[in-house]
Order: sequence, then structure tokens, then C-alpha cells
Amino acid sequence: MALIIPVIFIAVFIFAVIKKVNVYAAFTDGIQGALKFTVSLLPCLAAIFMMCALFETSGLSDGLTKLLSPVFGFLGIPPELTKLVLIKPFSGSGSLAYLNDIISKYGADSYTARCACVCFGSSETVFYISAVYFAGMKVKKLAAPIACVLIATLLSTVIACLVCRVM
Amino acid sequence: MNAIFTVVFIASMIAIAFIAPDKLLPTLLGGAENAAQMALTLFCIYAVWMGLSSLAEKSGLSRGAAKLLKPATRRIFKTNSDLAGENLAMNLSCNLLGLGGAATPYAVKAIGELEKEKNYFAQKLLFVINATSVQILPTTVIALRASAGSLSAADIFLPSLICTAVSTFTGVLLFIITQKAGKRVKKWR
Repeated sequence: MALIIPVIFIAVFIFAVIKKVNVYAAFTDGIQGALKFTVSLLPCLAAIFMMCALFETSGLSDGLTKLLSPVFGFLGIPPELTKLVLIKPFSGSGSLAYLNDIISKYGADSYTARCACVCFGSSETVFYISAVYFAGMKVKKLAAPIACVLIATLLSTVIACLVCRVM
Repeated sequence: MNAIFTVVFIASMIAIAFIAPDKLLPTLLGGAENAAQMALTLFCIYAVWMGLSSLAEKSGLSRGAAKLLKPATRRIFKTNSDLAGENLAMNLSCNLLGLGGAATPYAVKAIGELEKEKNYFAQKLLFVINATSVQILPTTVIALRASAGSLSAADIFLPSLICTAVSTFTGVLLFIITQKAGKRVKKWR
């Protein structure tokens, strides 16, 4: 499995040489695109990260966690995962921070940590993606697709907690 | 997003004003700093993958791959644009390899192309597929567990595969149902 990435890189480079592409120029060209793209993301990133930081400092996130723990317990989701599950749709780096906390607190091979890993790996930053994808587009009525994704994510979280008990 | 952003921002600021007013500015600055760091990390990921993809593009490799996948993408996304099809194909293959970060630029390009066709259905479908996380190999999580001293870091592979399959399937199914229901309501009126 570890070979996938080297194989892809080598194959693309060799194919480009065979096709007589100016490899250096083409590669730099791509990075130029990456630079433009990153700069275009910065305003959204900065605003969302400020919001997440405020949410943490204000203690509202702790309050929400306490409030929702019983609901999550009912669904079979360990209360330790509440914050991770809640923050994941908004911020990848926020959820990564919580995931790291859980792994170091309970040990990488504990049920809680494995469960957290599966939840993290099988879900996405829904609101962040919707912001990045649809920035500057005319498309409307995004509430329904976002709701579909959130329901699907919740279902997969419940299943993750079930599956990790047996596997 | 606007509504959530505004509500959370204002509510948090009010709460902070009550408990620790001197922390408001440091918190905001800290958030922006994290964003800047994140942007740097993202730039590194994009530089590697967009550099590679530009090579694949100029050598005609991605056009070839897109041609192979074109009948499938055309049917699923109902698009006639070659450029959109190409970017869709690249986005899906990056996702399957667990390279979510690399997949994003292709999705943004594909959505831009679909905008020209006014193909809003395909734009939303692509969002649903991406936001429910389609991946075969959760590379980041496995690396994290290994570095934390796990004895079998890759044993979450199968549970992850089951969960991401369930979430994508449910998401797409729900989305198609809501789209059809929406159309029916319109006709009925």
C-alpha cells in the first residue's frame, strides 16, 4: 500500500518525459496555481478559525458538549467523542486537535481512540467544504444537500461506534 | 454559513465579554494565526499535488484518464463539458486514494466548469459525494495512530471503509430523494 504514492509520482514524471513535456516549467506552473488557490482560500480560513477560537474560549463549546452528551450516549456514541463529532463538520484542524487529545489520553489502541479515528477518517468538514466549493457561485438552496450530508455523517458515526466494538 | 457564522460569532463574543473580556482580542488573533499556519500547510500539500497534476495535464495523461471515466461521469453528473469531466475524474481518484486535500482544487475547478452549463444538480451531487468522504485508505489517521505507538495502526482500515461507504451511499440516496421530491412538489403546484 505504501508503494501507491511513489508509483504514481514516478509514472507521471516518466510519462511526461516520454511525451516531451518541459517537466520543470509544467511543475512550476502547477505550483503557481497552488499559490493562487491558497491565497484565495485565506479570507474564509481566517474568518472560520476566528469563529472556532471564539467558540472555544467563550466556554460555549463546553456547554454544548455537556448538553448533548446524553443524546450521544443514547445513540451509542461515547461522550468523550462529543466535541470531535461536533467540531468535525466545521474545522479539520480543530477536530485533528481533539483527535490527538483523545489518542494521547486513552492510548492509540483503546476503544475510544479507535472509534474516534474511524469517525474522523470517515467524515468530512462539511461546512468548510461547502464554503470553499460554492464561494462565488450562483447556486442556491444548499440547505437540502447539507442536511443530507449531516444525516449521513451522523449515521456513519453511530455505525463506527458499533463496528469498533466488534472489529 | 452566513447565519451560523454570525450567530456563533456574536454569542461567543457576548459570553467572553461576561467571563473574560481581556481574552477577546488574543483569541481572535490566535484564530487568525492558526488560519495562517493552516494556509501554509495547505499550500505545501497543493504545491506537491497541483505540480504533479499540471504535469499529468500537459502530458495528456489526465485527458486520457478522463476519457476512460467520461461515460461514467457523464451519466452520473449529466455533463457534456470535457473539462468538467476531466476535473471530476481527477477529484474522485484523489478522494479514493485518501488525498482529500489534493482533491479539493479539482472539485473547485469542476464546479466552475459546471457553473458555465448551469448544471446545479451536478455541483450539489459533487458536494454531497465529497462531504461524505469517499476514501479507501485513511492515510492521515493511520499515520497518527502509528506515531502514537499503536500496535496495529492499520486495523481501522476495514471499519473506516464500511463507515465511509455507508455515509456516501446514504448521503447520495437522500440527496436524490430530496431533489426528486422537490421537482414533484413544483409540478404539483
